[in-house]
Amino acid sequence: MSLDNINLLNNINNTGTLHPVNQTKDYLLDLLREIGFQEVHGPEIETEEFNFDMLNIKKSHPARQMHDTFYVEGKKNVLRTHTSPVQIRSMLDKKPPMAYSSAGRVYRKDDDATHLPMFHQIEGICVDKNINFANLKNLIHQILHNLFGSDVEIRFRPSYFPFTEPSAEVDILSNSGKWLEILGCGIVNPVVLENCNIDSKKYSGLAFGLGVERIAMLKYGVNDIREFYKSNLDFLAQFK
Amino acid sequence: MKLVYTDLINFLSEKPSKNLLSEKLFQLGHEHEVHGDIFDMELTPNRGDCLSLIGLARDLKIFFGNSFDLDLYKDNIGSLDINFKNLSPEDCPKISFLEIEIEDIQSNYKPYLKNFFDTIGGNKTNFFTDISNYISYELGQPTHCFDSATIQGNLVFEKKYCNNTFKTLLGSEIYLNDDNCVFSLNNEVISLAGVMGGASTACTPKTKKVLIECAYFKSEPLIGKTIKYNLTSDAAHKFERGVDIKCHDTVLRRFAKIVHDHAKIKSIKQRSFLSNNTDDIYIPKDLHKINKVLGTQLAESEYEHYLKKLGFDINSKIKVPSYRNDIKTQNDLAEEIARVIGYNNIESHPISLTNIPSYKKNDMVPMIESFLCKNGFSEVINFPFTSKREKKSIIIVNPLDSNRENFRTSLMDSLIENLLYNERRQKESIKLFEISDIYSKNSKNTDILQEKRLGIIISGRQGNNPKEFSKKLDYKYLNHLLNSKSKNEIFKITEIHRDTLDTKKKDKIFYVEVCLDDIPDIFFSNLRADKKFVNFISYKPISEFPSSTRDFSFLITDLNLVNEITNILNGTKDEIIKDSFIFDFYKNDKTDTVKLGYRFIFQSSVKTLSDEEINKKVQEIINPIIELDGVCIPGM
Repeated sequence: MSLDNINLLNNINNTGTLHPVNQTKDYLLDLLREIGFQEVHGPEIETEEFNFDMLNIKKSHPARQMHDTFYVEGKKNVLRTHTSPVQIRSMLDKKPPMAYSSAGRVYRKDDDATHLPMFHQIEGICVDKNINFANLKNLIHQILHNLFGSDVEIRFRPSYFPFTEPSAEVDILSNSGKWLEILGCGIVNPVVLENCNIDSKKYSGLAFGLGVERIAMLKYGVNDIREFYKSNLDFLAQFK
Repeated sequence: MKLVYTDLINFLSEKPSKNLLSEKLFQLGHEHEVHGDIFDMELTPNRGDCLSLIGLARDLKIFFGNSFDLDLYKDNIGSLDINFKNLSPEDCPKISFLEIEIEDIQSNYKPYLKNFFDTIGGNKTNFFTDISNYISYELGQPTHCFDSATIQGNLVFEKKYCNNTFKTLLGSEIYLNDDNCVFSLNNEVISLAGVMGGASTACTPKTKKVLIECAYFKSEPLIGKTIKYNLTSDAAHKFERGVDIKCHDTVLRRFAKIVHDHAKIKSIKQRSFLSNNTDDIYIPKDLHKINKVLGTQLAESEYEHYLKKLGFDINSKIKVPSYRNDIKTQNDLAEEIARVIGYNNIESHPISLTNIPSYKKNDMVPMIESFLCKNGFSEVINFPFTSKREKKSIIIVNPLDSNRENFRTSLMDSLIENLLYNERRQKESIKLFEISDIYSKNSKNTDILQEKRLGIIISGRQGNNPKEFSKKLDYKYLNHLLNSKSKNEIFKITEIHRDTLDTKKKDKIFYVEVCLDDIPDIFFSNLRADKKFVNFISYKPISEFPSSTRDFSFLITDLNLVNEITNILNGTKDEIIKDSFIFDFYKNDKTDTVKLGYRFIFQSSVKTLSDEEINKKVQEIINPIIELDGVCIPGM
């Protein structure tokens, strides 16, 4: 018996592991790619214009206040508070029909047991002639059935986002009988299309966004979001 | 906003159960929690009109009908002679004042007022302020009560630059700066308009003559004031979300009626100041557009029925009710209709994205990830904030604290911290990597530079197996792994010396940081971006208790037993065994014996294990082995 043979007897998996948040993000990106979305990227330090103005988030909106958003030197730039500005950049760049996904780090001025100053979002936007709320529902069902099984119970609730109208939040029914909020979505506000030089009389769009950590927590059963960022090898090794 | 179930159903014709009411509130988009009779509402910021009993009842009318028999003051109200000027009508297009004088102060409240303070109304303050708080709950319009005797002279509403202290009616002193909307009396600020009144003009339990201010403040100038001045204000919360410009008469007559319910009114006078900035909003009728947005086939009659029930007037155009500050477009109307149909009742239809142009994906990151993971590296993600400032650092103007004022310009400090964190947790072999965008200023400070970087850090044993256990992770290891494809050095490897670090460990630390764009193509030859199979395993919380290690060295004289022994050892599972592996294997050909080193790492998820507990478990594991003929543990 040689040393190499004995190594085979060892019951240790010596491979490393991709971060569970990145695994979840990649899983979602692959899922959206299969549906037909193409991935686009954008910077984490954004202008106020792309992060807020173009998305119909008015100067008076609470999200723009110093207590919610990190501003960087010069105050014209912010740490992006969502991945939506990437969609704005893409819409300005190309003509419809288009279907884009974007994923990445976003920042909010928060730090407590359930909120972190940095987390990950993934979102999708699709603009074409005749995109409607019924299409949005179908797409969200596809995503949630893939993630949580085809028999998962899904609830759409009216909500409010400046960049979509109508807007919805979507819940799934957990095993314990409690509704869990999973994502936000809506029909792209025509104002946003017009801001991106897209004729809102001719085209309409749908958009949705998910928190990657939230999905990772639900799928893996991690209860404390802070665990993801301790870089503890005992934690990370579980996600091989 | 909290409300009492029985208060709300007073305004509904049908009296739904709590469950049905809750279900319909969710359908309309009004998230809430129910605690007994209290509904704790979390309304979206566009629905300021629903921040009251009457507001929610209006929204629920379509399901349960309304019974709005508001008991109002019916008698004649005289005209108020008041020395008032509105110097900032763009911030406050309408403002009304009601002055009431009563004969006696009443402290025994009627049941509706008493119940309010017994349930959700908080502490009673004084007669007029108590009514003001109740009115805000019932009708959603904040009012402010000045003690009329203190308002002598020129009263002005204005937006002005402040640089003075102001004592609020709750007694706290705040320093006003920048622009604020205020009421001034003879040039002295007496109220932070729409947020909080001042102590100098506040009503007291002795006040018999009150000046009630009822205003339509625009939201923009008030946003952020409560946070800036660290105040809690129900009024500001409502004004920030929008109130009804046409409600003043109803609100003030309701106020007067409640006063009248409790006390004899000696005099009552009112005056409104209105600028011309109050046009009604009309939206064209367009059923086709609504069906197009929603993907429905609604009939004209349904369309009109739903909108009428929501308070819209329909003639040649659709007139938006004055309390609906959030409705301006066809998409807004589409949402209204979808809410009353129920989002869940709208049928879904697939879309095809086949006509979307495809693209080529950049595989660089997944190739590096696959390569490193296969070689035992684990990926970490770190926050980009640091206390370390360099010339090129991007500075955050409003950081969480001074330790997080700057954007990191390198991944190194974060990865060193990750390494030390794991060393403190008795990890003996540490191989970590991070891929992250790094942002910095260019040398002229005119632009922001962005680059995607890879950082790699190693220290400790090469691995937990006989071949690697006694070898250290070192320069040679990393150089062979990363630089073997080229004669030239692809990755520059540096040693990080421990003398400046907070650690007693001696193992050397090696580090690599590179910009992804600088990695030559040759490195990627033969690398693949493996298709990832994400296993959504059920995660087991990690223990915070210390682990203990036990090593065993078996001398095996019957070589046929090697497999059996390793099978027994590897097959040993227990909730306190965190890890186990063969770390040493030596075959002595001269003596025809094998030396087998085996390590167990014990850790409990609930406590620190005692030596006794570990030794007991050790006996259980090794006894069946040393009972075999042809194996022993020398020295035991």
